Amino acid sequence: MNRRKFLTILGSAGVASALGTAKVAKAAGGTHTWPYYENSYGVLHDTTRCIGCRRCEEGCNKVNNLPGPDKPFDDLSVLDKPRRMTPNAWTVVNKYELDGKPVFRKLQCFHCNDPACASACFAKCFQKQPDGSVTYDGSQCVGCRYCMVACPFYVPSFEYDDAWDPLVQKCTFCEPRLREGKLPGCVEACPMDALTFGRRSDLIKVARARIKANPDKYADYIYGEWDAGGTAWMVLVPAVPAEHSLAETGHEFRALGLDTHLGNRPMGELTAGALGAVPMIVAFWPVLFGGAYAISKRREAMHKAETETIIRDAREDMANVMDAAVRKIAETQGPGVADTARQAMADALRTREETCANRGHHGEDK
Amino acid sequence: MRNGTTLLLLTAIAVAGAAYLTLGDAGPAPAAAPALASVSDAPSALVIFPVGEKPNPEGVGMKPVAFNHLLHENRVENCESCHHTGDTAACTTCHTLEGRAEGKFVTLAQAMHSPNSARKGQGNTPQSCTSCHAKQLQRPECAGCHSIVKPARSETYCSTCHNVSGLTKGDMVAGIAGSLPDGRNAELAVDTLKTRENPVQLQPADGPYKVFIDEIADQYKASMFAHRRHVASLMERVKDNSLAAAFHNQPTTLCSTCHHYSPLKDTPPKCGSCHSQRINPANPERPQLKAAYHLLCMGCHKGMNVARPLNTSCVTCHKQSEAKPADSAAAKLGGE
Amino acid sequence: MAHSIHIPTKDKLFNLGEFFTLTKGNILTAVILAGGLIITLIRFTQGIGSVTNLSDVQPWGMWIGFDLLCGVTLAAGGYFTTVACYVMGMKHFHSAVRPAVTTAFLGYAFVVVALLYDLGHWWRLPYMFFFPGTTSVLFEVGLCVATYLTVLFVEFSVAPCEWLAEKFPFLLKWRALVNRATIILTIFGVTLSTLHQSSLGSLFLIAPGKLHPLWYSPFIPMFFFVSSMAAGGSMVIFEGMFAHRGAHHYMDATHLREADEVVFSFSKAVSFILFAYFMLKCIDLLVQANTPYLCSGYGLLWLVEILGFVLLPAFLYARGSRERNLKICRFAAANTVLGIVFNRFNVSMIAHNYALPSAERYFPSIWEIWISCFVVTMIVTAYRFIVYHMPVLYEHPNFKGSH
Repeated sequence: MNRRKFLTILGSAGVASALGTAKVAKAAGGTHTWPYYENSYGVLHDTTRCIGCRRCEEGCNKVNNLPGPDKPFDDLSVLDKPRRMTPNAWTVVNKYELDGKPVFRKLQCFHCNDPACASACFAKCFQKQPDGSVTYDGSQCVGCRYCMVACPFYVPSFEYDDAWDPLVQKCTFCEPRLREGKLPGCVEACPMDALTFGRRSDLIKVARARIKANPDKYADYIYGEWDAGGTAWMVLVPAVPAEHSLAETGHEFRALGLDTHLGNRPMGELTAGALGAVPMIVAFWPVLFGGAYAISKRREAMHKAETETIIRDAREDMANVMDAAVRKIAETQGPGVADTARQAMADALRTREETCANRGHHGEDK
Repeated sequence: MRNGTTLLLLTAIAVAGAAYLTLGDAGPAPAAAPALASVSDAPSALVIFPVGEKPNPEGVGMKPVAFNHLLHENRVENCESCHHTGDTAACTTCHTLEGRAEGKFVTLAQAMHSPNSARKGQGNTPQSCTSCHAKQLQRPECAGCHSIVKPARSETYCSTCHNVSGLTKGDMVAGIAGSLPDGRNAELAVDTLKTRENPVQLQPADGPYKVFIDEIADQYKASMFAHRRHVASLMERVKDNSLAAAFHNQPTTLCSTCHHYSPLKDTPPKCGSCHSQRINPANPERPQLKAAYHLLCMGCHKGMNVARPLNTSCVTCHKQSEAKPADSAAAKLGGE
Repeated sequence: MAHSIHIPTKDKLFNLGEFFTLTKGNILTAVILAGGLIITLIRFTQGIGSVTNLSDVQPWGMWIGFDLLCGVTLAAGGYFTTVACYVMGMKHFHSAVRPAVTTAFLGYAFVVVALLYDLGHWWRLPYMFFFPGTTSVLFEVGLCVATYLTVLFVEFSVAPCEWLAEKFPFLLKWRALVNRATIILTIFGVTLSTLHQSSLGSLFLIAPGKLHPLWYSPFIPMFFFVSSMAAGGSMVIFEGMFAHRGAHHYMDATHLREADEVVFSFSKAVSFILFAYFMLKCIDLLVQANTPYLCSGYGLLWLVEILGFVLLPAFLYARGSRERNLKICRFAAANTVLGIVFNRFNVSMIAHNYALPSAERYFPSIWEIWISCFVVTMIVTAYRFIVYHMPVLYEHPNFKGSH
């Protein structure tokens, strides 16, 4: 493989991949069209309504045919300790304390508008679907778990104990059920409508209306409307009365384990700059180092030429001196002696040159 | 009995003082609250006029408020609760329609209605009528309903206070100018408070005794709701509350927390008329039927600090169906 | 010459005697390899969870933090030396090129081997070429590492060709081809190295909330690249130190003569690079207004890393190359290598998930550490096999001067 051929391949790979991304974006409901995710669905989780009954966990378990839980779903003592999603429990309810009162929050995949997991996956296992769900296809999963590193919500879990087909597991938004026109299992099971299913755009209006109607009850922010570039699942959080409130804004959200430092851009954009530099380096580095090589090569050639000139000059000088000396000898002592002297001098010179050459070679690098 | 004379004298003075105080109170106190004793020399009732500096020859303005000063001064901690500067001048001295420098340009409307005031670094934080009344809604007997519903800001809401009767145009013009004689002012206020009648609420016996909620009975049996007991309990708690009596201004007001959004009458529609069992895409904000029940029951119990039953103790309100547990167990086994 | 270099002949290709003498090193190697094989068996039949402490919040542990991140970084000597020798025309480094390329090749090859331990579906590794996730930094890393491993293989292949040329003469043609393409391979190699060395840092760009602000930076790709240069130079010195101890008798006169000069030149270069790296880190600290964090436990850790493992070796290198003091240079090299490992551990494990409660934090299991040692031992063993058989530390007499 020569250099030009390789660069062509690399270059075309870059173009092809860019085209591929654009195509996927189109297929996935228009990542780069406006308005974003026009008709996608979402769920509004109103933590002021949640009573921590674990019905959502049970509903999820049932509709997804997951293995039974460690403790039965009506055993609420599990709420005493914070839990997280596992390969067999795609959603869990946790109890938090806010202003001395218990608040419950359901944990599951947030189904980001522009998911970090999908951006991070190097085998294209994750897809943002037009219906709002972020789906995972394990059939091409390599098991690198970069999705888990990338997910700002610590959502995906991995089947570490499976040697032969370990997969990443996470909430699917009950995507197969959505296609059948059914509600997600957890939403259907919630007895309090703490989970409201609907078009994401509608849910934002619903959330705003609730905040407006009860400004003392709700913190004035819809978690997930913009966080991490926006998520399909959004959370409303109870307000803490101003006189009890800490100075820090957003502490209600942090108290419920919601990260308030994610920013409002998709996480994937954070790597876009670094990836954008790749073509620059591919294009520029060979030029830079090729140039450096040419310079060093040229310098070497110049050095060689210079040395040769000096040697030639020295030889000529030596020959002139020798001729003059021989001529002098011929004048004074006759041509016979002169020949012998010339021979002797030539021999001496050759021996000397050889010695020098040897030493020179010795000191010189190959 | 060396001190007998002194003791007798002191007793006589005490009796005389008590008699004087009692008699002195009985005279000027209006009929509105004869049982209350005034702790100040303020008028028992007065009309608060929309005092303004702009010329207003026609006497155009919001109907003035007949304020029962005696009742309120017995409800608050001390005079400074309302007279926040410590000076017991009338509100309208500093707070006029347009606002004055003395009142830091807080207008009369703001001073009376502002839902909250910024906490002051020093001195009293002023409170308005509205903000103090709103605080009362957090009392347990009120918070059940009022954590779920906010009082509707309707015409009757305003006229609960803005209700002076027998007001002439001359009174109004003089009142706005701040030149109405105190005697006439008190007369107007006392007449208004005397003639005002609070509406009579529907009684517990007007509603059903028990209600069986069985529309969505499935995993659980129907829930028996002791309707009459709940209504009676609510009414019992607020029966002596004059604020509630004044503002619950319709016979059906107490019903309207649960029987909401429909024109108030004594035969309300069923919950299921609006709350569908499955989410209605046209109204995604409307709770589904099951949640509608739970949100009302649990919301009210939570607001009133009713400890029992636990939110998560399902079978306290509705017994488990016999068929269903086996079913769900089978589902669980199937899952494994 | 006083050195007993074994030149394989047509009839006697192998020289395995060194492995079967009862030395401490050989016994240790045997123990680690035997234990490693057992753990390998368990890992591949019982799952990753059976031997690691990895969890859902810490999906990357020792095997990524050490085997992959440190493995790739410490194998940077390959591109560092070839660029210095071929591109910059510093011909006196020539005898250092082959050992450096050999280590780099082994490093990368065993990075891939170690990666297989960490991957859930290790046999699906090539899937990334069939379903390329082009928005993923990991895809870029994978593509570059795969390509660079090929380049390194080609560069390295000259040595086995010379070893086996007597028996399989057709290899000479391949050797000639590779020699002609040397400069192309070198430039290609440095391009790929720049890309994936920096991208190893970019991997963490997507998780700003998880990595401590002192280590998270938009410039983290640059930090990784610059520090990889320092690692490359230091690693040549560091491994040279061990090679002199263990394989001295396989070095020819040229190698021995040039070795010290290589150390001093590289020391000077790495000293500059480390100073630059130190400045970059400090500027980043100021630009991101992270100075308040310095007063925390993590701040102390950061200071130890930056002062003790960047600034200190930078000074030591400067002094060592100035005074032509081999000892100081070697100490500085070890210091730098350790510092790089420390930095990669910080980024991938210690300062990662810093906000989580300590109960959810990760500490590698003894088996994970064993496997990491196992991989290192495999590299050392393979290196020994190569230097015992192939003209790496010496010039093959048949090919003297012909490159």
